[in-house]
Amino acid sequence: MPDVDKGTVRITDIGPPHYEDFLPPIIKRNYGKWLYHEILKPGVMVHVSESGEKLYTVRVGSTRIVSSDFVREISDLADKYCGGYLKFTTRNNLEFLLDKEENIEPLIKEVQALGFPVGGIDHSLGNIVHTQGWLHCHTSASYASGVVKALMDEFYDYFVSDKLPAKVRMAFACCLNMCGSVGASDIAIVGMHRRPPRVMADRVKDLCEIPSTIAACPVDAVRPKTIDGKPSVEIDEDRCVYCGNCYTVCPALPIADPLNDGVAIFIGGKVSNARTKPTFSKLVVPWLPNNPPRWPEVIEAVRTILEAYKEGARKGERVAEWIDRIGWPKFFKITGFEFTKYHIDDFRIR
Amino acid sequence: MTDEQKQKIKEFVVNLVKEYHGKKRFKPQDLEKEVEQNFQSENITRKDAKAAIKELTDNGELIYGYAGGSFLTLPEDQTQ
Amino acid sequence: MAGVRGYGGGIVGRFSDEPDEYPGVKEYHTARLNQIEGFFYTSDVLRKLADICDEHAGGLFNFHGSTGDIQILGFKQEEAEELFQKCTHLGFDLGGSGSALRTPSCCVGPARCEWATYDTLHITDNLTREFQNEMHRPTFNYKFKIKCAGCPNDCIASGARSDLSIVGVWKANIRIDQKEVAEYAKKFDIKKYVVDKCPTHCMDYTDGKLTIDDSNCVKCMHCINSMPKALRPGLEKGAQIRIGAKVPMVQDPRLGFILIPFYDVNKDKEEDYAFLKDLIQKIWDFWDEYGTNRERVGELIQRVGVGNFLEAIGLDPLPEMVEYPRANPFIKFEEYLVPDDEEEGKEG
Repeated sequence: MPDVDKGTVRITDIGPPHYEDFLPPIIKRNYGKWLYHEILKPGVMVHVSESGEKLYTVRVGSTRIVSSDFVREISDLADKYCGGYLKFTTRNNLEFLLDKEENIEPLIKEVQALGFPVGGIDHSLGNIVHTQGWLHCHTSASYASGVVKALMDEFYDYFVSDKLPAKVRMAFACCLNMCGSVGASDIAIVGMHRRPPRVMADRVKDLCEIPSTIAACPVDAVRPKTIDGKPSVEIDEDRCVYCGNCYTVCPALPIADPLNDGVAIFIGGKVSNARTKPTFSKLVVPWLPNNPPRWPEVIEAVRTILEAYKEGARKGERVAEWIDRIGWPKFFKITGFEFTKYHIDDFRIR
Repeated sequence: MTDEQKQKIKEFVVNLVKEYHGKKRFKPQDLEKEVEQNFQSENITRKDAKAAIKELTDNGELIYGYAGGSFLTLPEDQTQ
Repeated sequence: MAGVRGYGGGIVGRFSDEPDEYPGVKEYHTARLNQIEGFFYTSDVLRKLADICDEHAGGLFNFHGSTGDIQILGFKQEEAEELFQKCTHLGFDLGGSGSALRTPSCCVGPARCEWATYDTLHITDNLTREFQNEMHRPTFNYKFKIKCAGCPNDCIASGARSDLSIVGVWKANIRIDQKEVAEYAKKFDIKKYVVDKCPTHCMDYTDGKLTIDDSNCVKCMHCINSMPKALRPGLEKGAQIRIGAKVPMVQDPRLGFILIPFYDVNKDKEEDYAFLKDLIQKIWDFWDEYGTNRERVGELIQRVGVGNFLEAIGLDPLPEMVEYPRANPFIKFEEYLVPDDEEEGKEG
């Protein structure tokens, strides 16, 4: 094949555009020279440089999934208020960077008119990071975007204010592979399969390569088996960890299951080193149903956690620190969550 | 590695993939290890193997597939 | 299959289970594009990406995926090559997927944060360019993630998920502005909310003066987070390198451990990060040699033992690397002495 497609040179292996070309001039002038920052109000902060220059940040709760029209709308706002520059955050927020304080309020008005909240800084509920979910992942046990939308609608007030004891970082992964690395969040919601993949025995031979299907299983739960005279596979349900790898390789082993899929809630993880070491989130609710479009059971469970935390934690205490102080028995007592045998870790690779 | 050696390695790799087509999926590092072993007497290194394989994928003689792990296969393999 | 010629990753194939019923989404592939470091963009480049997405894909994006890439959603294989070439002509290349390096990512760093102890954007950009081949042509056992956080607050969550995590730290004393401490004292109880919460109790606030015994400071950031105008990280800035964090599959999530307690990243920057690149290469060589399919480097290290891993990559064991020394007595000594008569007996 020639390296010229449609009259242009085929370009590969160039890496990303260079970041220096995308920094607002005020940032270029003060790169590495920032002295301190202050939070002016929920969602708005100012960074002050050694040179005395001030950079105002307005943080806007965006979504992970956005349309090209949305991209154009925010580009127009960036042109109008920020010289055409804008940035995103690791939690799918959008940040407008202003060098003029008087632009803050007009910008906020326009952002809110588009339907987006300003907040997510300091002692607030941050934007929920999430994975792909039903929208375009084949092993997802839940919707991701849909649950996140329902949750953020419900807890909107915690995003636009700073009335929680400390920051609360929430995350959603649509299956236990946890692509979003949600496992170190104050509140982590994880899509759960309860039933191992079903074997569509009559289709395995036509749709799948049996050796690679067997090799795809990380716990050796998939074995060859002749069913009704046709080469197929069987799944050792005791060994299966619901990772979905076999389904990735073999479409005749579907794992998604409306009857059995749902979500679990883990809490008390953190990544920052402040005061206490980073730690993973721990199980509090092993399974709740997928109940679209508003997921009321999930919302109630999260409300119970947030209210107990708000009530019980001291100022500045993250969820993990609060529970460390009061102990898990007390946590289960005040929240009323049932403690079951599933809460006790019995997982061993066999 | 001389151009002549590189050509020999490329032929070796393509033949190996052809021979085992439908029976075994070679990860790139499997092929690198095979090259290393087969051309041991000619002081061919892993780096050389990587360079030869890169030429094969760049010009489309081999393509990458993914099934829980990346592997190399023939362009006509559309099983995925 | 979904992909572009020569690359083994960057495009994730999605095929509908019911193509006849939903022909429009029979193929619904995703392209991962390397994000701009720090997630900085201009309206101009965003509009051009939106045009590409509308023309060749489903008009949907992720800004950004969990790893950090921009994702363009919903295109057919027949569009892949042209979409890819339009992106590269705009300056964007594909990210990693499959058994390959993932697009490295970083926090906002010195671009807008006073706490960054090194240039997270520069190092991430540099490594991304250096390892194009490892990202685009999968030759690893499984994925490998590199993430760079400018300070121990770790806003990029590197310590909980990256195989190689770089987190900024410092050596010299925390810089104190007593005048600003006094200002904070008017707003809240410094003893209660700052001093008493210090994990090593190395602070004191008496008679309106804040003192810190920096020799006992573990660089947790709590006091600095609480009073950003009064306290600043110390000079002699560098970073800590951690290794082996990962998500659950298949043997539980793992936070990794400290490999290099103090990496002089600012000096290494002047040498094009030669030390770091050499270290990463040694880790990859070890993983390539001893790892098995779908085994993350952290799992391999646990399987073969941290001691053996350290020997292989040429690092000495340090107390910083462990939570605490071993509690069990099953030490496998590598050498033992043999009495002379036994030696002679053998020889005889």
